[in-house]
Amino acid sequence: MSIRGVELGLRGLGKAIANRTILHDINLEIKPGEFIAVIGKSGCGKTTLLRLIAGLTEPTIGQVALDDSPLAGLNPAARVMFQDARLLPWKRVWENVALGLPGLNADQALQALHQVGLADRAYDWPLGLSGGERQRLALARAIANTPSLLLLDEPFGALDALTRIEMQQLVEQLWWAQGFTAILVTHDVEEAIALADRVLLIQNQHIALNLPIHLPRSRQRGSAEFAAIKDQLLGAIFGAGYPLATRVVGA
Amino acid sequence: MALAIEQTTSATRPARRLQLRQLGQRWLPWLVPIVLIGVWQLAATLGWLSARVLPAPSTILQTTWDLLLHHNLLGDIAISTRRALVGLAIGGSLGFVFGLLNGTFPLSERLFDSSFQMIRNIPHLALLPLVILWFGIGETSRLFLVAFGVFFPLYLNTYHGVRSIDPKLREMGIVYGLSKWGLFRHIIFPGALPSILVGLRYALGVMWLTLIVAESLASNAGIGHLTMNAREFMQTDVLVMGIVIYALLGKLADTIARLIERRSLRWQVGA
Repeated sequence: MSIRGVELGLRGLGKAIANRTILHDINLEIKPGEFIAVIGKSGCGKTTLLRLIAGLTEPTIGQVALDDSPLAGLNPAARVMFQDARLLPWKRVWENVALGLPGLNADQALQALHQVGLADRAYDWPLGLSGGERQRLALARAIANTPSLLLLDEPFGALDALTRIEMQQLVEQLWWAQGFTAILVTHDVEEAIALADRVLLIQNQHIALNLPIHLPRSRQRGSAEFAAIKDQLLGAIFGAGYPLATRVVGA
Repeated sequence: MALAIEQTTSATRPARRLQLRQLGQRWLPWLVPIVLIGVWQLAATLGWLSARVLPAPSTILQTTWDLLLHHNLLGDIAISTRRALVGLAIGGSLGFVFGLLNGTFPLSERLFDSSFQMIRNIPHLALLPLVILWFGIGETSRLFLVAFGVFFPLYLNTYHGVRSIDPKLREMGIVYGLSKWGLFRHIIFPGALPSILVGLRYALGVMWLTLIVAESLASNAGIGHLTMNAREFMQTDVLVMGIVIYALLGKLADTIARLIERRSLRWQVGA
């Protein structure tokens, strides 16, 4: 694995929208090539955190540092994969990939499509693609320019369970091969454990838990260690009520 | 054996029926006009229709042929077409540019949109007497009216097309490092294009309508001039011919617009 990911520092980062605090005093150092997963209940601010790192919104206080230089405006290192694929329906598949490449480079676009297994659809229109293929295409577009930071905003949330596992493996493979720094926002605790070096739990506007995952890759979801980590995370999310509540329902 | 025969006939019959149906689909739209023209010709030949009211189709064809050979009918058609296209180019491009500006920049929208909406509500043909006072009965007043008429459909549809582009796509373009020009070229223009083309087709209709009125009231050449002269000399055949030519030109313009639409919006059907 060749590491050419970017190093990220979040320093005293805070964001308020219309006097409502979304995030407060976020401090975090992310090593180059690290895979971070951010989980939390919906509305907890995890997408806002991603948008701050992407430079799509300005922090109210604090800063994002990129290889130790403060970020101003749009993050030049980052590529974002959104929950909805955000494809341009009027451009063919390969043109969608080429969008973020200098000079709309066709070879590079085909190369990226090949990496996500979509090379045979290169000349089709995006409207003919299935949901999984659309996200594959979005992924190809995100990695085509070999970015040093990949931001994933619940990219598999709308996919069926089997396609989701396929996509997760694909992202892990590409991350392993290209060595970019990855930040994955998800509401799927299993997905976070399967992919991340570290899982962050955001609760009450700050990082409530920062849990390194030491399981060897590629990870067996059925293993006892995996289940134990999952229990630990769910316990942190729901507090003492989590295992108790499931037992009551089961009885 | 009987079974085999049964199978072959049942296999060929649907195929033949399908062919017939395709043929029917193709020619069915022509049936009503052809029957109507046939009845019209018959009525004129049998003397039920006075030639003063409505001359026979064959007479109109004959007149058209004469005019083509001896009176430079093609020249008149060319003059009318040129007027239509120049007016469309001026008014259409202004409408397109203002649609883009007002769809993109809030300042420009605040400045212009309410004025345009106000002017839009004037029936533009009502301006004709005023326009003749301003520009006389020359070419300028006709072009002005056509340009004025086609401005609004293109303005409104371009504006609407730009405004209705998903802001998420715009955000994606920004994240993927597109410049302002790149955003326009790859996202805003193609996204607005379906709506712009609807505006164009509507503008083509307005274009012919305006031209017919403008040429009829004040003109020294062109189809409108021809038909107005014909009215003075009671040449009903020339009059009807003029109307048919307008219809054909309008249909031609619409067909071209539809071809452009089909070619540039191929992505919508995924072919």
